[in-house]
Amino acid sequence: MVLVLAIGDLHIPHRAADLPPKFKSMLVPGKIQHIICTGNLCIKEVHDYLKSLCPDLHITRGEYDEDSRYPETKTLTIGQFKLGICHGHQVIPWGDLDSLAMLQRQLDVDILIAGHTHQFKAYKHEGGVVINPGSATGAYSSFTYDVNPSFVLMDIDGLRVVVYVYELIDGEVKVDKIDFKKTATTRS
Amino acid sequence: MVKKKVPDWLNSSLWATTTSSSSSADDDRLQRYSSKHSIIADTATATEPLDGSPVPVSTPASIREQPPRPSKPEIKIKDKDKDSRNSVSSNINNNEEDNGNSVAGPSAEDISRQAQLLTELSKKVVNIRELRRIASQGIPDGAGIRSKVWKLLLGYLPADRSLWSSELAKKRSQYKHFKEELLINPSEITRRLEKSTVCENDEAKSESSGMLSRSQITHGEHPLSLGKTSIWNQFFQDAEIMEQIDRDVKRTHPDLHFFSGDSSFAKSNQACSEADTFFCFVELLSGFRDHFCQQLDNSVVGIRSTITKLSQLLKEHDEELWRHLEVTTKVNPQFYAFRWITLLLTQEFNFADCLHIWDTLLSDPEGPQETLLRICCAMLILIRRRLLAGDFTSNLKLLQNYPPTNISHLLYVANKLRAQPSG
Repeated sequence: MVLVLAIGDLHIPHRAADLPPKFKSMLVPGKIQHIICTGNLCIKEVHDYLKSLCPDLHITRGEYDEDSRYPETKTLTIGQFKLGICHGHQVIPWGDLDSLAMLQRQLDVDILIAGHTHQFKAYKHEGGVVINPGSATGAYSSFTYDVNPSFVLMDIDGLRVVVYVYELIDGEVKVDKIDFKKTATTRS
Repeated sequence: MVKKKVPDWLNSSLWATTTSSSSSADDDRLQRYSSKHSIIADTATATEPLDGSPVPVSTPASIREQPPRPSKPEIKIKDKDKDSRNSVSSNINNNEEDNGNSVAGPSAEDISRQAQLLTELSKKVVNIRELRRIASQGIPDGAGIRSKVWKLLLGYLPADRSLWSSELAKKRSQYKHFKEELLINPSEITRRLEKSTVCENDEAKSESSGMLSRSQITHGEHPLSLGKTSIWNQFFQDAEIMEQIDRDVKRTHPDLHFFSGDSSFAKSNQACSEADTFFCFVELLSGFRDHFCQQLDNSVVGIRSTITKLSQLLKEHDEELWRHLEVTTKVNPQFYAFRWITLLLTQEFNFADCLHIWDTLLSDPEGPQETLLRICCAMLILIRRRLLAGDFTSNLKLLQNYPPTNISHLLYVANKLRAQPSG
């Protein structure tokens, strides 16, 4: 049972002041084992805050991040799964699922976590699963101002992943989940 | 009404610890107890218990009897500590003589008791009553005797020796099943709940690509839930409690290495001794369980009633002290006796003394609760001079930091309280 937080596109301080208080009250240290961040934090304070939630923090560079040392992509293995991270502004057309699937095959990962569109998505294709955690602060995107704050928490347990989607809709936190299994035969 | 006079033997200087003369001796003894702990840790590796339960082998046994021989053949100790132990034990002996320890008897008594216990334990069917009788005088450290005797006294091991291995195997596998049943993580629980409501979805295979469908969470359960009834929240709270327990054990007993999982000795024993300890603990606490239940506090079986019994016992045997404590200085017994009773005196004495006290607690045919009350009463009586001279503050301070005592004295007095005819 490994809890992995996928979060990104906060755009603090340029487009948002902080995480919504209801999200902040749930994100407490000691529960999460890994944090995967798609990028666009944008400042060091946000980095430090995430680090305080969990010391194992993986970030990729968003186009507005002030720290330019974050990598463009990153891969890591958690349990039976290989995960890949990329902010997503590099993949054009932006948000195009086929293009993202190509990136996933390039990185050779079971789950690709990419952001930039500020819209939650969970998409399955032959190469694996693409998850977009959305924007945790509800910051406006290159496409629209109508953004619901959201993030994702994955519970990786053996060959099974339960993806909990946390969204703030009309001031209330709504939680959904998505279940999927990795069949042992796919991906070596 | 005849005021009940304190019997002369109680006022004898043999029993009372006075503030002047023996306190320095007590301090010395305390220092030596703490230095012994390192010896206990080292010697723990040398025991040969029946089933792998760690037993601290220590020399405080030598303090009770006197004079012990410089080297006890039955205690196997690492060589480097032998010398320090010998010098320490001979110091203790001198101290005992100064105090006029009247627990007379050569060390031969200790050897004979050990021999008696070993004989009893090697019989085909152990005579529990006989075992109690010998054990109530104190169980010698060494050769894993205490471990076996306690298990028999607590009813964990049956009297019939031939059943021991099967019984142990049964209990240990039972414990393993308990663990598997009760210690499931929330991930597992959620999965089992879902299996019962939704049949395994084959859609995972059927749709090769497309948006993954979102489903509702059951009972509002998600890992970040802060709800009081949430299994996730409870799981994290339990994890925190376990960490706290771990920290407290390391903090309060840093010298007892078999508590920490680091040494290879500890690891090899952990599996068996965990199960044994669990069942023995359950058995031991079954009689005291009501003390921990808040709703029962004011009932006939609750902690308040037990403390009242202690009070009555004191009044019966030493009315002057009782009156001074409860009426004059208003030292409510709850202030000190609560911890004495609920923790079975483990916080009042060092580890070695606690073992000796528990030998008596477990073996006395009157049962642990009655015996405990008599020992608590004896504890009060032993320091009566200081208590009678003190006011609320000094008495409370004294009782909450009970001075180190000769445990044999204490148990002898406690035993005498039983023999006293009631008023």
